[in-house]
Amino acid sequence: MAWAPPGVEVNSPPHWPLARGEVNHVGDLVAVVIGDDRYAVADAVDDVMVEYEPLAAVVDAEAAIVGAPFVHEELGTNFGAHACVVDVDPETGKTTIVRYVAVDDCGNPINPINPINPMLIDGQIHGGVVFGIGQALYEQVAYDDDGQLVTGTFVNYALPTAAEVPSFETDRTVTPSPVNSMGVKGVGEAGTIAASAVVTNAVIDAIRPLGVDYMNMPLSPIRVWEAIQDASGSRAEANR
Amino acid sequence: MIPAAFDYVAPESLDDVITALVDGGEDAKLLAGGHSLIPLMKLRVAAPSLLVDLRKLPGLHGVQRQDGHWRIGALTTHAVLEHAPELGVVSDVAATIADPQVRHRGTIGGSLAHGDSASDLPAAMLICEAEVTLQGQSGQRTVACADLFQDYLTTALAEDEVLTEIRVPVLDGYGHAYQKFTRRAEDWAMAGVCAVVKLSDGVVADARVGLTNLGSVPLRATAVEQALQGLPATAESLAAAAEHAAEGINPPADLNASTEYKQHLARVLTRRALADAVANAG
Repeated sequence: MAWAPPGVEVNSPPHWPLARGEVNHVGDLVAVVIGDDRYAVADAVDDVMVEYEPLAAVVDAEAAIVGAPFVHEELGTNFGAHACVVDVDPETGKTTIVRYVAVDDCGNPINPINPINPMLIDGQIHGGVVFGIGQALYEQVAYDDDGQLVTGTFVNYALPTAAEVPSFETDRTVTPSPVNSMGVKGVGEAGTIAASAVVTNAVIDAIRPLGVDYMNMPLSPIRVWEAIQDASGSRAEANR
Repeated sequence: MIPAAFDYVAPESLDDVITALVDGGEDAKLLAGGHSLIPLMKLRVAAPSLLVDLRKLPGLHGVQRQDGHWRIGALTTHAVLEHAPELGVVSDVAATIADPQVRHRGTIGGSLAHGDSASDLPAAMLICEAEVTLQGQSGQRTVACADLFQDYLTTALAEDEVLTEIRVPVLDGYGHAYQKFTRRAEDWAMAGVCAVVKLSDGVVADARVGLTNLGSVPLRATAVEQALQGLPATAESLAAAAEHAAEGINPPADLNASTEYKQHLARVLTRRALADAVANAG
């Protein structure tokens, strides 16, 4: 139960230790086996049978909006949408983010208990998006052949700075949460969750005409350049 | 990130600086802007026993035009060069160094004496065919920048010598450009190419191309320069000449780039730098 000021009633959703009726993700607990010794328990685990019906993955935004099941039905709706425009220089592989729009829903920003300064919300989104951009384009922990960390300082562990990111355009929808008295929803991680995916997708979208449809993060210039070379086959030919 | 202990002096005359250098022996280092030396000391890659600070020395600041040369005092900051567009490619290059804080502290003399091929100014000095004045115990000598850079972080400066002035020939009528490739704005160049081009009736009368961070010393792409000589300055001829940019260079692979990728960048950046330089040639 969350803390609340005296006189304020807080409702919060039930948290069950085991999945009830439906499983939300791989790794959800469905059964607990208790026994006197570990071998008996291991044998008993083999006898646990779980019948389940897998749901089809929803990868289309339109389909997700209309009628697709929620992962956590009882928690109401946590959502946001980010869009990003990038320039990719096909000769050097360097990505420049041209425009970034983030629309997130943190529920009631002006709630009866604790009105939230909207600049705080934007600040959380800005910071989260820069984190996601860092993961998508820059950050990498690298070791040399001797196992020595070669990204031990901020000279070589590349974090994006203000010069690498555009001025973010943010907006909000307000859908009060039904599961707490303030109607608020978390926003601290909203930027991070969307940003690495949207930036990666934007880069892939830009270079798909060159034959690249998949890359691992970070999408550093050399990786993008090599992916384009590999897709066009000219690297393979040059090495023959 | 804490440097080893060191002694510190800040003499008020060049003679006193040289005396301090001689007395300090091989472990004495000159301190100008400090933006290369201090980080190395904090990483304990460098551990000088004595720092001889140049900040109180008079007369080593500023840019003057004299006898067809720009005379640039060794303690002139990158920010001053950045805001002196009459210096052409030197100004182009200075404007790309790190960030504004560094450019207001870092000095041209310090950058050249440091001898790092990843620094931006050395390659520009090569293509301008600049020379430096070195003052030591036994007097003054002049060294061409082509002879100054000898190996990675190694220059022709003797232990008792101070780099006091840089003389850059005035390149009137030359177009100029610098193409610096970095992952982030403030990074050292992964590769950089500076170019100056003089045209005569649309034909290349003189083209010079310098390469940053593509070897243990700054380099000139002489094959490109020769390939362009006397050709019309068309996009095709510039592109064809730029294909020679990686000839004879073997840049070591690092965290961000393979040798092959750096050679490719050298060709692409050379083509772009030449095109930019031709576009603003008078």
